[in-house]
Amino acid sequence: MSAPSGHGSDPDLTPMLDMVFQLVTFFMLVTSFKSAALDLTLTLPVAGSARPVDSGGKDKLLILNITPNGQLSLYGRAVDVESYIDGESQVSRMTARREGKEIAVGGDLPEVVVVRADRTTPFSMVNKVITSCQKHGYRSFAMRAMNKEGAP
Amino acid sequence: MSRKRKSRAQAAVALNLAAMLDMAFQLLAFFIFTFKPSPVEGQISLRLPPPQAVKAKADPSVKAGSSDSDKPAGVETLVISVFATSGGRIQNLALGEGAVANVPQLERQLTTVLADADLKFEQVLIQVSPRLQYAELMTVIDACTKQKLPSGQKLTKLSFVELPEGEGG
Repeated sequence: MSAPSGHGSDPDLTPMLDMVFQLVTFFMLVTSFKSAALDLTLTLPVAGSARPVDSGGKDKLLILNITPNGQLSLYGRAVDVESYIDGESQVSRMTARREGKEIAVGGDLPEVVVVRADRTTPFSMVNKVITSCQKHGYRSFAMRAMNKEGAP
Repeated sequence: MSRKRKSRAQAAVALNLAAMLDMAFQLLAFFIFTFKPSPVEGQISLRLPPPQAVKAKADPSVKAGSSDSDKPAGVETLVISVFATSGGRIQNLALGEGAVANVPQLERQLTTVLADADLKFEQVLIQVSPRLQYAELMTVIDACTKQKLPSGQKLTKLSFVELPEGEGG
């Protein structure tokens, strides 16, 4: 029953550091900051034929969250529909010009408009957003929905 | 000289891992707190033509060959009307001028009409009451996008028109 020796007992931190780095790597790989653009408070409608589509990042997306009272929600704050879509279409045309493609005002824009509207939003509000997008040259739309009731 | 070199080589180099571990834990905490798994959402892809006055065929049983001359050749529009209750639910449905009882019946009728190669329908115009809830509209869109054209392509060309307020079918 001798007392512990006075020698310092440094724990070997290497395995713990290995494990922590593995965890950090895991979270770095699975974290997607793109999902920050999605308003997760919205309850999407259910449509049986809605399928998850992964374009592998090739498609340029314009995500529009439409709240039940018809407001456009961008990173949690309400924005004006007309001015926001106008601004985005101008950015799209400028980007195309930089890539050597000229798109006239009202011409077809390459972005896919992702409509994430709450299931209780009246059609008139959704139609206002869609019509504004069409007026500015957006043609491809993706209506987001859950493919089964109660999905997260 | 050689004795000095030997003693240097034998000295153990102890890395202080505590600082690195602190930093790694801070990074880990950041990722844990900001981690929010995004839900797996499905989507219905649509090609929505720009708003334009489309003269629709009133009766789907009318053959395409007898269509109006101001329509683009070969492009026919099938009209679906959706009327809403005051609560925003579907009250009445109509395909052309014919009443349809519900969405499953609409789907069956669409399958019949769109499968007919003589009726060259290529797009669908959905007239909707302004107060119809988006979830209800999606059931109609769902019924449309399940359809295939005689060419084998999926029906993706849809247009929406808002019916005047108070129109109840």
